[in-house]
Amino acid sequence: MQLAWSPEDEAFRAELVAFLDEHVPPEAAGGFDYADAADRSGGELLPDWARAWQATLFDHGWMIPGYPPELGGRNCTPVQTLIYLEEMASRRVLRSFHFPGYAIVAPSLLEFGTEAQREIVPAAIRGDTVWCIGMSEPNAGSDLAGLQTRAEVHDDRFVINGQKVWTSYATIAQKCFCYVRTDPTAPKHRGISTVIVDMDTPGIEIRPLRHLSGVGGFAEVFFTDVEVPRENLVGELNGGWRITQGSLAHERAGLWVDGVARLETTIEGLVDLARRRGVDRDATVRRRMAELYERAASLRALGYKGFASFAQGSSAPEHSFMKMATSELSKECFEAGMQLQGAYGAVVDPDRGEEQGRWALGFLTSFAGTIAGGSAEIQRNIIAQRVLGLPRGT
Amino acid sequence: MDFSLTGHQQLVQETARQLFTRECPTTLLRGHIEDPAASDPLWRHLREFTPLGDGPLTDLCLFLEEAGHVAAPGPFFATTALFAPLLAATGDERLAATLAGDTTGTVAIAGTDGIWLPNNDPVKTFVPEADRVDWVAIVADGPVLGVVDSPTIRQVHTVDTTRRFFEVDVEPDVAFRAIDADAVEAIVQRATVALAAEMVGTARRLFELTLQYAKERVQFDVPIGSFQAIQHKLADMALDLERATSAVQYAAMTVDAKDADRTRAVHVAKAAAGAAAKRAAKDGIQIHGGIGYTWEHDLHLFIRRAYASEYWLGSSEWHRDRLADLLF
Ligand SMILES: Cc1cc2nc3c(=O)[nH]c(=O)nc-3n(C[C@H](O)[C@H](O)[C@H](O)COP(=O)(O)OP(=O)(O)OC[C@H]3O[C@@H](n4cnc5c(N)ncnc54)[C@H](O)[C@@H]3O)c2cc1C
Repeated sequence: MQLAWSPEDEAFRAELVAFLDEHVPPEAAGGFDYADAADRSGGELLPDWARAWQATLFDHGWMIPGYPPELGGRNCTPVQTLIYLEEMASRRVLRSFHFPGYAIVAPSLLEFGTEAQREIVPAAIRGDTVWCIGMSEPNAGSDLAGLQTRAEVHDDRFVINGQKVWTSYATIAQKCFCYVRTDPTAPKHRGISTVIVDMDTPGIEIRPLRHLSGVGGFAEVFFTDVEVPRENLVGELNGGWRITQGSLAHERAGLWVDGVARLETTIEGLVDLARRRGVDRDATVRRRMAELYERAASLRALGYKGFASFAQGSSAPEHSFMKMATSELSKECFEAGMQLQGAYGAVVDPDRGEEQGRWALGFLTSFAGTIAGGSAEIQRNIIAQRVLGLPRGT
Repeated sequence: MDFSLTGHQQLVQETARQLFTRECPTTLLRGHIEDPAASDPLWRHLREFTPLGDGPLTDLCLFLEEAGHVAAPGPFFATTALFAPLLAATGDERLAATLAGDTTGTVAIAGTDGIWLPNNDPVKTFVPEADRVDWVAIVADGPVLGVVDSPTIRQVHTVDTTRRFFEVDVEPDVAFRAIDADAVEAIVQRATVALAAEMVGTARRLFELTLQYAKERVQFDVPIGSFQAIQHKLADMALDLERATSAVQYAAMTVDAKDADRTRAVHVAKAAAGAAAKRAAKDGIQIHGGIGYTWEHDLHLFIRRAYASEYWLGSSEWHRDRLADLLF
């Protein structure tokens, strides 16, 4: 156990810092700790500067540093990937405005895709292609395997009918990584396939939905007799469930870094807020702030501990805890920020409330973390059953 | 920041695990309730490990986590986590004998308020194992240090039957000498992390007993561990335990490295260990149902240890208040 990384690893950090100092556009270093991309760019889902910045990162090998240069990286070690994520997070530099392409589709296609499909990976990582993920449906959320969007299988194509919902980025995406039912007679986990759907294919209708913050973000996507070439199948026919379980993405062991760094920014913000509101001598307030700090600090330690076991090749149960714990703590922090303002807790007027409604809007948007991508309850089920080995309920 | 254990650290952990499992069964803990001498055979095995008291805190913590796992009684904690570091920091000649396992000691600092800061109170409180060690090192305002061999003491009974606390009278004839104020602070920090490590071990024991029970106990024709209310409780216990374990390791690393973050890290470690231990104790008994409420079941031995440790060397709330002083 030691606090410092090796000199080679610190040299890696220095190189990154030099690159960032030279290239980060002012807009990418937002310093925000809440809301998603659209909320912070005035409703614009993918501003031009964000496209350019992601391409710059890719071209310099700083988009996914663990990948080889042709995939926007520099073949760095896992420790260096962690250092990269640390440095980006502590400076609050956003890599990309749309994560599905580089974070989900790219590693999945690298692991499960055909040769032709692997050729479209660089564009996904560089952000030249915007992807959306079509998993959730009106009747299939947490119970993803219950999805009903039907794809008839023909020799040369699939014909898709059905509906997806909560599809983030659907309004700007060129492609959808879409989960469809290809065998309605098989048990539900065994009849699902993954296909790549071009979003301009005839028969696709997109109806934007707004987030509770008021800005656009996700959408309903309707499929009516949408024809998809057979070669767009990813992995095996009826083998889609395996792909939902995620591939061994390079960065999985460091995904918590951003969540923890955000929390730390939020807690610093809370301390400043308490001072401005004149409640920083209040014993209850001080104890509450310290408790939030204690939880964030111990989660950072847990993240590092998990990383150490991951780097040694074990499955690192620590990571199962991180998403649930950081998202729930984030919710509590923003609510505490509202509470510190007393009667003004819910005010969002720029000239009356604090920080343009950072706390109230942050509170509302913090629910994304405990719902999207596996709710906090589902995370607890997973911890209980997969990490602790408890039997499934009946 | 690298949390992976070195080969040496893995050995410390493995050795401790085997030794405590073998030498400190719950029958010993029960014997110790009637007669504290029941822990003497354990001490004879632990004597060999007192050099840990003058080594890296990370190693001591790995060892003590296993001590907490069995709620080990006896003078080991007082001697290695309090007495030896105090002797080492103040150049006391008893250090060599202590590290050789030939002599034992404890430390008295807290006054009537129970807070571990040097003071002039004539009675020192919450001094562990003061009746069965060779030396009691008294730290008073100044700070000054006086080491005595048979002060007037009175036992303070807590719910915990595995660790015994005493009040120690500071007699007028104690020969005090001046010591470094920073050294006192450093020793209390060290002991606080060491205690947090022990608490993590105790919390782990409570968690393991409970998880095992949840898998075995059948009601409504299924193991109670298949009920979601039970599963979610266990998931939350596991989270608190994992984060406390990590926070303690981190704090030990910062203390060893004299890192600037160590003061915060120490407070975080004790508060996080307290949160984990209390949750494991409360949910542990709840998940056990009636059997957990009995004297015969071992669970209460660990619940008692968890709670007495929570209030010793600063409660979670006390550490959060100190943390707040650093935040604001
Ligand atoms: C901001 C945002 C972006 C999203 N982006 C996308 C996207 O790009 N693509 C996509 O496919 N989906 C997306 N989603 C959808 C998201 O994955 C689902 O909302 C999520 O999986 C939950 O499904 P649901 O909304 O149907 O809720 P439900 O599954 O209906 O859950 C409702 C409640 O019941 C609880 N519950 C359900 N099952 C259990 C159980 N077994 N045990 C205990 N409690 C249970 C849940 O925890 C929750 O509290 C997004 C969602 C949000 C909020």
